[in-house]
Amino acid sequence: MRWRPFLLAVFLAAAPGFAFAQEQAFTNRSTELKDRGANDAKTIATLPENTAVKVVQRGGGWTKVEGGGQSGWVRAFHLRFPATVETSSSGGGMLGGLTGGLFGGKTRQATTATVGIRGLSAEDFKNANPDAGALAKMESFRVDKAGAQAFAREAKLSSVSINYLMEEAVQSSSGRRR
Amino acid sequence: MRIALMLVLALFAASAQAQFGNFLKNIDPGKILETGKKLVEANKEYTQEEEIQLGQGLTAGLLGGAPLHKDERLQRYVNRVGRWVALHSERPDLPWSFGVIDVDTINAFAMPGGMIVISNGLLKKLQSESELAGALAHEVAHVVQKHQLKAIQSGQLSDVAQTVATEYANQRIAGGGASAAGKVLGTAAAGVGIGVLKDGFLVKPLDRDKEFEADKMGIVLAARAGYDPYGLVAVLQMLAQIKGGDEAGILSTHPSPNDRIAELEKVMPALDKYAGQSLDARFRQVVAK
Repeated sequence: MRWRPFLLAVFLAAAPGFAFAQEQAFTNRSTELKDRGANDAKTIATLPENTAVKVVQRGGGWTKVEGGGQSGWVRAFHLRFPATVETSSSGGGMLGGLTGGLFGGKTRQATTATVGIRGLSAEDFKNANPDAGALAKMESFRVDKAGAQAFAREAKLSSVSINYLMEEAVQSSSGRRR
Repeated sequence: MRIALMLVLALFAASAQAQFGNFLKNIDPGKILETGKKLVEANKEYTQEEEIQLGQGLTAGLLGGAPLHKDERLQRYVNRVGRWVALHSERPDLPWSFGVIDVDTINAFAMPGGMIVISNGLLKKLQSESELAGALAHEVAHVVQKHQLKAIQSGQLSDVAQTVATEYANQRIAGGGASAAGKVLGTAAAGVGIGVLKDGFLVKPLDRDKEFEADKMGIVLAARAGYDPYGLVAVLQMLAQIKGGDEAGILSTHPSPNDRIAELEKVMPALDKYAGQSLDARFRQVVAK
């Protein structure tokens, strides 16, 4: 049985495109573990606050997790994620608690951190000379309405009419001031 | 106030003549005063055209410091997702333009007028098209609400003085306005954009409330476009795992991801009935990890 996690680690290292972060999370309140991501799904267990779980999959307002020998879905908002990923080149950048050590140093984040970050600092902005050519290049990738609509149709994305979830009205395109 | 500005400009005009030598030889100090006056007026109200030029100036400056990603397929993909989301906003007809910069710092920027830039570092951390849509929708909401424009308009006069300097410095770069983009950079509004960029505008935070507002609008924009509105929540949960340390990164200019998630939880249940798509397969086809 030992070879399985080993092979998985090798696979993840070799194919980072599929290295879905086995994100470490904790329940941020007592919450129900369901057999699918829906309110009316069967409850498998009740997880107490601060239960350690690993994220397996996301789907709408529900997240599939594994932990304590069980697997199921919890509400996305009922999870908290500890800050464990280093991004700066000075940090050393092992994933530490993120993957419980098994995949430590083998994933994308770790690679980036050890290689050193091609960053963007306040100094870069201050010293930047405006680049008209790059601006023109960026604008050349613009997509018109018809192009966006065709792209949406390819994936059967359809428009839904929904109001904003807040009291304040949104400023109209006419530039009117509230 | 205005008299003080004129004095600053007059002093600048005199010293600029010395500093820029040949370049400014033919520029009439009176013209600089004239431009400065216009900018003061522009501070009160920008036309849409000026708003766009301002954003173009900011973007040209940003791209001067951070190169565009060379993968054109990636650039077009991000433009398609972004434009589709923006079509569901209150400003569908702006010349929306999205760009991926090839830096590892995790960040995204919204410029007035509909220019939006996302870093490859952020893109690589995302796992689905709905997460990209959520991140872009947050930026689109900033443009719809003119958050950046208003922040620039309420800036200090010293920025304006600086701006005039950069505007004129720019004419060297604009190459006499030969190209369309070069011509844009010669406008007063684009000069303001370049000026505020050099003043660190993109590394200064907006008010927390404006970020929360952009999040709350962003989830709705994504849902309107048919995406899973929880994409943005997943992005914030990813950001929550990042330790600080990247100076110009998203964490230095935004409220903590956990605070943003908590704010979204207050309103999100209203969207639970809209089961949008996540489209992770289409995302993975284009975005190489």
